[in-house]
Amino acid sequence: MPADVRLDGQCVLSIAIGRDLSRSVVDGLADLGAMVFRTGPKLDLSSRASVASGVDEAIRAHGLPDLVLLNVVPEVAMNPQPIAALPEGEWRSALMEGLRTTVRLLQALAPHVKSKGAAIVFVAPSLSLVGTPDMVALSALLEGQRGLMKSVARQWGGSGVTLNWIATAPRALAPFEGVALAAKPDAVSLALGRAPDPRSEIAPAVAFLASKAGRAMTGATLMLDGGEWMVP
Amino acid sequence: MDGPVSAFDWSHTRGLLAGRVAIVTGAGGGIGRGLACALGLAGAKVVVAARRMSTGEETAALVRADGGEALVSETDVGKRAAVDAMVAAAIAAYGGVDIVIHNASSALSGKAFALEDVNDADWDEQCDTALAAPFHLAQATFDSLRRSGRGRFIIFTSSQGLHGGAMNPVYAATKNAQRGFAKALAREWGPHGIVVNAVAPAALTDGARDYLARDPERSRKAIASFPLGRMGDMRDDIGAAVVAMCSDHWRYVTGQVINVDGGYYTAL
Repeated sequence: MPADVRLDGQCVLSIAIGRDLSRSVVDGLADLGAMVFRTGPKLDLSSRASVASGVDEAIRAHGLPDLVLLNVVPEVAMNPQPIAALPEGEWRSALMEGLRTTVRLLQALAPHVKSKGAAIVFVAPSLSLVGTPDMVALSALLEGQRGLMKSVARQWGGSGVTLNWIATAPRALAPFEGVALAAKPDAVSLALGRAPDPRSEIAPAVAFLASKAGRAMTGATLMLDGGEWMVP
Repeated sequence: MDGPVSAFDWSHTRGLLAGRVAIVTGAGGGIGRGLACALGLAGAKVVVAARRMSTGEETAALVRADGGEALVSETDVGKRAAVDAMVAAAIAAYGGVDIVIHNASSALSGKAFALEDVNDADWDEQCDTALAAPFHLAQATFDSLRRSGRGRFIIFTSSQGLHGGAMNPVYAATKNAQRGFAKALAREWGPHGIVVNAVAPAALTDGARDYLARDPERSRKAIASFPLGRMGDMRDDIGAAVVAMCSDHWRYVTGQVINVDGGYYTAL
């Protein structure tokens, strides 16, 4: 049995915009010895330049990251609502601006992560993979980010940068009250019988992606859901 | 290819969609024109939504030449008012809407650029067509589709995008977002009897034909990647599959991304 992956001395930058679904995972990375720096709420998202300025400032203050956790989930995307009743402004804020912000953050990170060959990881609820009623905007946002992750993984792979996506049981990250989450109908719907714990069980998987052993993995979607959907 | 491909026989399909009203966006050319013609051949009344009236009229003329019925609406699908007007015209002319096919794609979709070169103008242009438009269409047609009893909402995505196409990150993002859209909406609208799917085509469009013609060796290699040995005909391959998806034969298939690509992508 190999020793657990440690992140001693490594710099982790956590960027969380809107609902921070990866907070416990980031706590777990600190448990593994990483120097963790969080930003997000104070970033000015109004333009590409302002995002770049905020990211540059954070990295100047804390150092080049070995690992970046990226979480962009506008609060409005977390409100369940039928699409037929959804105001257009909320659709645009949740989906289109959420994606635009993700692009701007990646653009801002580009020079920094390329110089170090860093790992970028998204941790997200698996609900977008199967689709969730009354959360069409969130499902589309997360899938859009996952597509962006793949495309950028192809573009930046030559610089040693990896990008990966961890999809986990939604309620491991947030309550999702009042949301009709899809469930695998099966005699054993969840192989482990429980969702993974973000702090103690998802964080080590993220750490692996930043470790030397994990550097051949990029553009991948890892299902850390306790063995529910088992795809592909 | 060493085996024959028979010509598509539309005679068995005529009437399959009789009485249905189908909206096709981006129907002024390319795949959208093929879809409109196929739906018309199957007996649907076709609402040709095109950015330019002139190209929409060309498509409508083709539908009518094959005995079909078509209405043309000059529509910028990224604009809510334009979509509302198009849907209102369809309902006024034909009494309702049974089928919505969002095929329109930004002209920038095929443009190659690095993530670092994405600017707001390009982003807005691609996102309005890919992500605002299906929202407008869903809101404008929900009541009609629910009343139809045979409601179909089909969105055109891209296998190349779903695999993370390297040279257009916006396209990869929006086409994957459409995957999430289709799956979530299928779950949301299933209880209303509306079927929602996505199609990922590989079609021999004029652009693809020009691209392949410029380099025969590249063309040979590209075509060799298709198990069926050819790219799809816009009407007889892509359109025919969509006709099937709109028919009662496919009424129990929802929330899926259907690759209509000659087997080009089999990993998804």
